[in-house]
Amino acid sequence: MLAFAEQGMNGLMMGAIYALFALGMVLIYGVMHVLNFSHGVLFMAGAYVCQVIFAQLTGNYFVAILGSMLVLALVGCLLEKGIFQHLRGSLSMQIVASMGLIMIVQNGIIYFFGPLALHMRVETVESKIRLGPLSFTAQHFVIIGVTLVAVVALDLFLRHTRLGTALRATSQNLEAARVVGINPDSIFLMTFALATALAALAGALLGPLFLISPAMGDLPLLKGLTAIVLGGMGSVPGAIIGGFVIGILEAQATLVLPTDYRDAVVFAALIGILLFRPYGLFGKRERGEP
Amino acid sequence: MSEQTSKPILAIRDLKAGYGGGRMIVNGVDINVGAGEIVCVIGQNGAGKSTLLKGIVNLIQLRQGTVQLDGKDVTDLPAQKLLLEGLAYIPQGRSIFPRLTVAENIRMGGYLIKDRAVLKRRHEEMEAMFPALAELRGLQASSLSGGQQRQLELARTLMMDPKVLMLDEPSIGLAPRIVDQVFTVLRDLAKLGKAVLMVEQNVRKALAAADRGYVLELGKVRLEDRAQALLDDERVAQLYMGMRPTAA
Ligand SMILES: Nc1ncnc2c1ncn2[C@@H]1O[C@H](COP(=O)(O)OP(=O)(O)OP(=O)(O)O)[C@@H](O)[C@H]1O
Ligand SMILES: [Mg+2]
Repeated sequence: MLAFAEQGMNGLMMGAIYALFALGMVLIYGVMHVLNFSHGVLFMAGAYVCQVIFAQLTGNYFVAILGSMLVLALVGCLLEKGIFQHLRGSLSMQIVASMGLIMIVQNGIIYFFGPLALHMRVETVESKIRLGPLSFTAQHFVIIGVTLVAVVALDLFLRHTRLGTALRATSQNLEAARVVGINPDSIFLMTFALATALAALAGALLGPLFLISPAMGDLPLLKGLTAIVLGGMGSVPGAIIGGFVIGILEAQATLVLPTDYRDAVVFAALIGILLFRPYGLFGKRERGEP
Repeated sequence: MSEQTSKPILAIRDLKAGYGGGRMIVNGVDINVGAGEIVCVIGQNGAGKSTLLKGIVNLIQLRQGTVQLDGKDVTDLPAQKLLLEGLAYIPQGRSIFPRLTVAENIRMGGYLIKDRAVLKRRHEEMEAMFPALAELRGLQASSLSGGQQRQLELARTLMMDPKVLMLDEPSIGLAPRIVDQVFTVLRDLAKLGKAVLMVEQNVRKALAAADRGYVLELGKVRLEDRAQALLDDERVAQLYMGMRPTAA
């Protein structure tokens, strides 16, 4: 029972990371119909930028997280303007471009920081918090709390602001969006910025708990994709729930299976979903949109 | 009202439009629409009716000719600027935002209105004008009936209080009774002084609602006359209203 509760907490924490990660991917997919496979390296770059701002520039973890989100949002804008804008409508070209980006970003990081993992030492969040007989790092709670805040903020933005509504409108009917005077290009730019900032947030949050390494985004990419498929390929709430389901599932799986099988469980679930519920857990077909 | 009595609000001159490869689908069209006037363009499938409207609002790849709005040359303005100048357009097919609510759809029509007070007032005006929509304001737009969706498109478009309203087949897919309602709304708008340019395949009803009409064939204007005269025209009757030649 204790182990169950402990893994539940770990699952929630990783689920929060996956949810943030999947949110960014689903926004880009929903609005632009681009499957951005480079989301994983952007997550990783976010962790590195956070480390640089924290360890070398400010010593303030909070500032480092915000800084990293900002930097990656700019990177997202550049990627949209420089690359993806020109590949609209060609899924194969988008995939090729994403793969190229993965190599460029990953090797760029290795060039500047070396191939070895770095340790982001943030003392305040490394401290332990006791919950009865269990104890977790403060970072567990920070991650879950920040994710909840981010999700609520995003929901408010999408549903209650002019720009957020325009984002949803654009994803639902591009032609009609143009007709009412929305400039889709600026909506796309904003979506990319938002999505990469969320990737950076996830990377920056996970940094102090695990080591930072050039490959740290690889598995989250696959799990983020799984979360999106689970959530019905395009629904924002679906992606969030999908992220948490995966985090909790893989954490609980370690109670009954060897830890090495943790990832296999997730991908087995993915295959199961694709076989039996191809439109996701919630069943309703919604052509990718937030 | 065959001859333009006053200066046209919308004046299209020698418009050519196409989708690339240098081939023009619309090939030199002149159209005038006056304030308070409903002008209808008819033509068979593929005649270039939709292309014509897309050409006018600059939502197409290839384009030549001039567009004047209220005496001002707006040929090179993008669709967004045209909207601000008072030229609004409703594309063919359902152009609502299906998973926004009715109220959100209407408010998106005022996307370019920066003043919140104005936005709110216009929204209230639209709900007064379309009471059925006011009752459905919280519903997802996709759950509306075809006729209600058409009303929603109109309400959304009227948020900008345009001088000229262009509609691509407003009657398509609607039951006859609903078609009559839509044309009645258009007549009311014309009475308020709006210029209406619509493209239609429902020739009989559209011409009955219109003041003047143009017949478009292969991207060119074949005939141009008062709507009633076109309705009485034998060629129009044969080609577009499924009538057999009278002299057998
Ligand atoms: N996006 C496009 N790209 C290339 N060609 C197009 C495109 N849209 C339409 N066309 C071509 O332009 C011609 C005229 O099309 P258009 O849609 O303007 O006709 P229409 O008169 O509106 O017909 P309908 O009554 O069926 O709506 C057709 O030959 C069509 O194949
Ligand atoms: Mg058409």
